[in-house]
Amino acid sequence: MRGTARTVAVAAMSAVALLAAGCGSGDSGGDDTSAAGGKTGGEITVRGCNPENPLVPSNTTETCGGNVIDAIFSKLVHYDAETAKPTNDLAESIDTTDNQNFTVKLKQGRKFHDGTEIKAKNFVDAWNYAAYGPNGQSSGYFMEPIEGFGDTQCTGEGDDPCAGAGKAKADKLTGLKVVDDYTFTIKTSEKVSNLPVRLGYSAFSPLPDVFFTDPKAFGDKPVGSGPYKLDAWNKEQSIVLSKFADYSGDFGGKVDKITFKIYQQSDAAYNDVIANNLDITDEIPTSALIDEKYKQDLPDRNAEKETGVIQTVTFAPTKVDPNYADPKIRHAISMAIDRDTIVKQIFNGTRQPATGWVSPVVDGYKADQCGEWCKYDPAKAKALLQEAGGFKGDKITLSYNADAAHKDWTEATCNSIKQALGVDCVATGVVDFATFRTQIGERKMKGMFRTGWQMDYPSIENFLAPIFKTGASSNDGDYSNPEFDKLLGEAAAEQDAAAANSKYQQAEALLATDMPAIPMWYGKTTMGWSDKVTGVKITAFGTIDFTSVAVK
Amino acid sequence: MSDAAIAETTSAAPTHEGGDTGPARSLASDAWRTMRRSPFFWISSALIAVFLLMAIWPSLFTSTDPTQAVLSDARVRPNSEAWFGRDIQGYDIYSRCIYGARASILVGLLSTVLTTLVGGTVGVFAGYAGGWTDTLLSRLGDIFFAIPLLLGAVIVLVTLPATDNYFLIVLKVVLALVVLGWPSMARLMRSSVIQVKPNDYVQAARALGASPWRVIRSHIVPNALAPMIVVATINLGAYISAEATLSYLGIGLQPPTVSWGVDISAAVVGMRTTPHMLFFPSLFLSLAVLAFIMLGDVVRDALDPKNR
Repeated sequence: MRGTARTVAVAAMSAVALLAAGCGSGDSGGDDTSAAGGKTGGEITVRGCNPENPLVPSNTTETCGGNVIDAIFSKLVHYDAETAKPTNDLAESIDTTDNQNFTVKLKQGRKFHDGTEIKAKNFVDAWNYAAYGPNGQSSGYFMEPIEGFGDTQCTGEGDDPCAGAGKAKADKLTGLKVVDDYTFTIKTSEKVSNLPVRLGYSAFSPLPDVFFTDPKAFGDKPVGSGPYKLDAWNKEQSIVLSKFADYSGDFGGKVDKITFKIYQQSDAAYNDVIANNLDITDEIPTSALIDEKYKQDLPDRNAEKETGVIQTVTFAPTKVDPNYADPKIRHAISMAIDRDTIVKQIFNGTRQPATGWVSPVVDGYKADQCGEWCKYDPAKAKALLQEAGGFKGDKITLSYNADAAHKDWTEATCNSIKQALGVDCVATGVVDFATFRTQIGERKMKGMFRTGWQMDYPSIENFLAPIFKTGASSNDGDYSNPEFDKLLGEAAAEQDAAAANSKYQQAEALLATDMPAIPMWYGKTTMGWSDKVTGVKITAFGTIDFTSVAVK
Repeated sequence: MSDAAIAETTSAAPTHEGGDTGPARSLASDAWRTMRRSPFFWISSALIAVFLLMAIWPSLFTSTDPTQAVLSDARVRPNSEAWFGRDIQGYDIYSRCIYGARASILVGLLSTVLTTLVGGTVGVFAGYAGGWTDTLLSRLGDIFFAIPLLLGAVIVLVTLPATDNYFLIVLKVVLALVVLGWPSMARLMRSSVIQVKPNDYVQAARALGASPWRVIRSHIVPNALAPMIVVATINLGAYISAEATLSYLGIGLQPPTVSWGVDISAAVVGMRTTPHMLFFPSLFLSLAVLAFIMLGDVVRDALDPKNR
């Protein structure tokens, strides 16, 4: 599920390419008047990386492909670059009276890059394709709230769950209906108060008719609907986008041509930016972060912004490892972690110590939900541990996937725990992300392990329901609290956003008592650019805002 | 026995050292006389002695635990409290340099001993037996010889199961180096055995009915050993740096094992900003490698009669 992909997003430094989720907007708001100067036209080069899959919106969950997809596809809803607030893009309106039946009206005259008009059936067909199990789309589970999703999934076991009796019962979602060319309806199986917010995610992009004739060829040269169209994808080298002349939306860009130069290492991209061979890198390598060297290398040409990412440390389910069952022990461990010093020394300030389980960038965030449990207090931590009768196992373990940049902070975290509690703590590397997630998924991983979450859509709900609801897809610690589930259900049924958020916040407060996972820090994205470009902004998703970038 | 045998070869050498007209001396004592006059011998021996002491008894040099982190002082420059400064995790670099000697020296010594044993044995058999045995063993050696060290070591180390035990981790690295390092020793041994084999004293021993085993043990090996000793000493330094290379690439020794290669690998990110983290473990590594290679050089000069 998505959680697996997202969990690593926090790897940041070097590993984003491998894993992180490719969420949100690259083609965000603004027109010529709003941005920070610079002329219209010209071309820029930005750091890219190898897309893991063909460029199909419903099959791209990592940032390498996601950054390109975001620039070339328009969605119903567009997230504001600064605030992540959703505004209608392809949608004229999204209406509901009961949070369960939604009517979507489209703007007329919006076009795909092949000149065909975007119509209601382009959405319905694309979403059905994404949901249908045998198509194996990695973002298919985003359709889960829509009625009839269960019947589109394969139920078999083993290597090919779609074989024989396991074949999916239906290839269409019953909850989607085309009313006319510019109207369709969505029926969800349960009440979902924030569905309109979710619809800006790339998995909900419309697909042109040409996609369905040959999905494979489409993946190499996608026909999108966004402000930029894909000219060429030179595998392993570059992806070239150019301005779509017939784009009539509100979120067009200034430059005429964007080239994603594919780099294997962020160090190489960074050096090219210093040498003015590359215009923007969305990743500053660790070597330049130390002592904030990049601020000397690229004076006034760097920016940093909080993004919807949180790093947590999750406890193995109690039945897998009973040593951590007592919330007092969990609180003691959390209080033994010196987040401020780790962020300062290991991350050079490119993280923000967490005070809760929800990222500050989303609507509904409430500060300090974790309270004193997330504040470093070695004396109190030790006292709590003694109160709980000491630690029963022989040592605390903190597992991480060794193929990304997690070794330094897990080691530092363990050293902090060891020094505060006097219990040995070992950071244990697992060879790669796939093995790591398999061990967690099969509930074989004992002790504590790192988990991360990059938001799919900017809502407090996205940080709670998929991770802590009973039986949720990314509930790695098997956390189950009936009261928590009840509050989430009530929140989903709320008509008023503020009322819903307040229910979600109450639910989040319960996590502080039970401590199923320790909040560590929120993510930030740091970028640097050459002296040829201006107006570089970072979106709330940690991507480059292509609407404001301009050539000097 | 071996002394006598060596003395025989020495007498075949054209001249002794200039003006030295004393009674015939053994090669070993001759070599010793040459070596002790060389300042490089004393410098390298002293360095090696210090490194060996570090490996055996690190607490003699420092009372700081190499795994005691002071994160708030991470990356601090050398100062009176931490002589070499601290690394990314806030570990004391001086203490880690001292404790890192053990892994490097262990890998170096074990790899050298094992390659010498394996390569030497194969070389003696191939050289003495000749014919089919020689062809077979030599071609087998060629196969391993053709595999580049790094590539082969990567394959060996990635294939072996992961482990937490200190000595098993070290042994894994040693195994990788031995598997790929023995053919050069075997070649060397084979050629010197072939050189020694036709000598009169060997023929005489055979004519007197000595068993092949006895001939090899008493006459061949002692006389063919000198080049092996030289190359092994030089290789020891090379193995230490190979271990550091593998650890640097993340496939050799692994944390929590303290080793110079591991520390160099972790410090590389700070090359532009905090180079002291990189400098000190590199310095120790270079000194250790230099010491062994220098010693090898001196030994070669002393054992090689052509240089006289």
